Formats: sequence, C-alpha cells, structure tokens
Amino acid sequence: MPSLAEIQSDLLGAIISGDPRPAARHIAGDGLAPEARVDIYRHHVLVTLTAALEATFPVVRRLVGNGFFAYAADSYIREHLPGGPCLFEYGGSFPEFLAGFAPCQGHDYLPDVARLEWAVNLADHAEARAPIDRARLAALAPEDMPRLTVELDPSLSLVASRWPVDRIWLANQPGSEPGGAVDLSSGGIHLEIRRMDDRVTIRWISASRFSFRMALRAGSTLELAAATAARIDPELDLTQAVQELLLDGVWVASSLPD
Amino acid sequence: MTSRLDGRRRAGIGLRGPHVAEIMASRPPLPWLEVHAENYMGGGSAVAALEQIRGQYPVSVHGVGLSLGTADGLDRRHLSRLRALVGRIDPWLVSEHLSWSTAGAGYLNHLLPLPYTEESLDLFARHVEEAQEAIGRRLLIENPSGYLRFRHSPIPEPEFLAEVARRTGCGLLCDVNNIFVTASNLSLDAIGYLDALPRAAIGEIHLAGHTRNDADGQTILIDDHGSPVSEAVWQLYAHALRRLGPIPTLIEWDTDLPALGILIDEAWAADRVADLVEVETIHALAR
Repeated sequence: MPSLAEIQSDLLGAIISGDPRPAARHIAGDGLAPEARVDIYRHHVLVTLTAALEATFPVVRRLVGNGFFAYAADSYIREHLPGGPCLFEYGGSFPEFLAGFAPCQGHDYLPDVARLEWAVNLADHAEARAPIDRARLAALAPEDMPRLTVELDPSLSLVASRWPVDRIWLANQPGSEPGGAVDLSSGGIHLEIRRMDDRVTIRWISASRFSFRMALRAGSTLELAAATAARIDPELDLTQAVQELLLDGVWVASSLPD
Repeated sequence: MTSRLDGRRRAGIGLRGPHVAEIMASRPPLPWLEVHAENYMGGGSAVAALEQIRGQYPVSVHGVGLSLGTADGLDRRHLSRLRALVGRIDPWLVSEHLSWSTAGAGYLNHLLPLPYTEESLDLFARHVEEAQEAIGRRLLIENPSGYLRFRHSPIPEPEFLAEVARRTGCGLLCDVNNIFVTASNLSLDAIGYLDALPRAAIGEIHLAGHTRNDADGQTILIDDHGSPVSEAVWQLYAHALRRLGPIPTLIEWDTDLPALGILIDEAWAADRVADLVEVETIHALAR
C-alpha cells in the first residue's frame, strides 16, 4: 500500500509533467479513466496559476495576446511552481523566464515590461514601513555616517531599461487605446517604483541616483554606494543624495557594520 | 436563536477584490463577509481596505493554502502569517479545507484530494491541532469537491470529517455544493453524505454554482464558483437546514464574477430558502 507521501509526490509529478500515469495507479476508475480524473486537477492548477500570472502581468498579456500568454505561462508554471500559497508573490522569475523563452526572441523589451509589472506588484503588496527617525541619525558621530548601511522602503524597486517601458506600460493600461504608438528607440530609462499614500508611483530618476540606490539596496555602505554612483556621475553630491533619501521617505532603517 | 422570520438578512457573500470599493461606498445590508486569507497576507492597500470593511461587517477568514493534508510538515511561515491576519482582523470564523496543496517545495494552488486512511487521519488531525494551537482559534474544516477516489481509501469522507472533529474539537464547514458535486462525480448519495456529518460540529455552510462538463462521455461536475446556485443544490441546502437548523451561510462566486447586486440576490435567495424551511418546521410542529 503506497504511503501518503508517495501518492502526493506522484500526483504532483503528474500535474507538472502532464503524464498522469504515475498517479493513475493509485486511483479507482469508477466509469472514467483514472488518467482523465487526474487531468481534471491538472487543468485546474494550470488555469488558476495562469490567471494569477495574468493578474500580475496584464501588460505583457496585452502585448503578446491571450493565446501566447497562456502558452508561455504553461511552460513557466511547469518549471516554476509557486513557493507558497500567496499568489501575489508568484511570478518573480517570470521576467527572466521570458528573456530566455525562445518564442519571445525579437521582442527584447518584453522582459523589461515584465520587470516593471513585477515592481508595481511588489509595491502594491509590500509591508508599510515608517521612515527612519531623523533624531537617531542626527545623534550619530559624523565619522560613522559613511559607514552606515541603509534599508530602503520595501515597496521600492529600481528598473532600468534601454526601452521606454514606462510609456509602453502606460499605453497598455485598461482604457488606453490599443496600438497607441510608442517609439521603441525613444531612449533608455531609469525608473523608481514605490507605494506612496496607498498608490503605486513610477518615476524617472537620474542614472547616478539609480546606481546609488541600487548599491544601497544591495547592502553597500553610504560611502561605497556613493563611490559606485560617482563612477556614473563624478559630480554627484553625496550630501544631497543622502538628503533625498530622507526627503523621499525611503530610508526606513540603518545599521553600522561591525 | 434569532427568528428566521424577522426580516433580517443572514446569508453573507465572499468578498472579492473588484467589489471592495463598491461595498465600502454603498454598504449594502449584508450580515457578514468572507475573505480568502491568502489575498490579505501582504502589507498593501488590500489589507488596509479590509481593516476598514472590518469596522462595518463581521468578517470570516477562509484559508485556501494551509495544506493541512500535506505529508510534509505544515508551512510554519504560512501559519504565522495566518496567525497575524487573524490577530489583525479578529474574524468571527476561521476555516480551511480537507485537502492538500503542497508537496516538496511546490504549491499547486488546488484543494487536492486525500486518500482516507488511518495514516491520513492521524496526520490530518495532528495538523488541525497544530494549526488551531498556532492561531489560537477553532478551525472549521470544509469538505472538498471530489473528482476522484483513491483505490485504497477505506474511510468514507463524512466519517473522516466527523472523526477529525471528534479528535481535534474543530468544527466543520459544510459546503453543500461540494457535496452535490462530489456525490455526482463519485456516484455517492448526497443526502446520505449530508446526514452522516456530525450535526453539532457544523458551524458554516457554503453555497456556489458549478458547471456540467463532458469527460469521455461521462458527465463531470466542476466546482468553479462561476454561476448561480443550481436548483438541485438549493434543494440539498433546504435538506441541510431541515436537519441542522439555522447555520450561517455564505455565497461564493469566483470565476466570471458578476455585479455585486447579483451576489446579494443570491444571498437573499438563501435567506428565502431558510425562511421556507422555518415555516415548514413551524407547521410540522403545529400539526
């Protein structure tokens, strides 16, 4: 008699692979082939996970059409099942998947549009955090300041693209005219996406600020992040860049490395 | 017990994202709302809206992702997120399913069936106890809609549920549409199933629509929550109320979500069935 773990593993395998046979041996027919019964469950899993991806990537879906989206989603789902039951967290690797998905070749902007949609989704669901208490920063010894690491607002994402993905995104919102022309050669962009006052905002930032905040997000100290950003813009004013973190309310916590 | 004839509305509806703004603006006269736990485990605008709605309506939290039947251990992170949500919303009911959804690292987003054996009974009851302890609340466990029967599954589903309730003190969520769908798909007697559930344990009833599909020449009912409650399910609901007495009832609708007014009409239809059953009961007593 098979154990529960074996049965569950076989059913999971059948759903992912599309081959119901390993699971079918555990199932009574009752007038309908066990394989067809497994297929009912498999179909539901694929349809609902596709719907979850459609909810998070509506612009990609609109750009490629429902049929192609479902085709791409089917491949993605089999390779990347959700890690947990909160489906707003599902699809973080979908942009990378699209970048490597052969039928998408020639549509190089698609993965970046997907990255922007993922950033919008993250901003919408991120935990709300209050900005850091400035009095605590003011109490720091001046020489410690450059050694601080900075935790940025968890709703904040940074997306750079050589395509005008923000305009593509905007032109494909519900209610906008389909086929509204976006000049794909209209230049590369650096975007910051975050939630402010319960609304997700997308704004342009300079390349140097982008790289400064990217470095902070990656765990660099203020000093190191400034050095990284200075490679892009030697004129970058560190004091001003730090003040902007406070003014924007995106600096939520800090610590001094040992 | 409140009389069913006092004109108060009793059946609630499942709260779905597209209806949130309208409900907040128009505050329709609904006795309660139910939400899917997993949609409110982030920190964004959805939870903020739910907190506002919670000030106007009693809310029940219906989990779909705890995977109580998994052969692996329960997902501790998910359990702690459920505990946090329950603490934040203070729901009047908390429910989950007799099913599993995770195996290994993958979550399958479906209420997958269990073989009903001594092994799965021990495991499921242990997980229910663990979950109740973690969230500090009694759970209601819902019967799933079934599309297959395992070769080795000697315990009938209602008996399995009754034993889980007996061992863990949990309650049951009797999904009448699921009973109808399962009974049709697996050639069981829906009335017999309903009558085998332990009356005292049932704390909530679910109603929803299903579709009729053809699979290799055999009719299979799919519990897709995408249409009005069928006539046969209303009849089974009436039978359930005759046996159980008044039970908080909820209309679920997930696919092809209609205008809010249609869901409210379905909830009122459930109230009318409950009223008719009460009138019948009074007449029977008077005879």
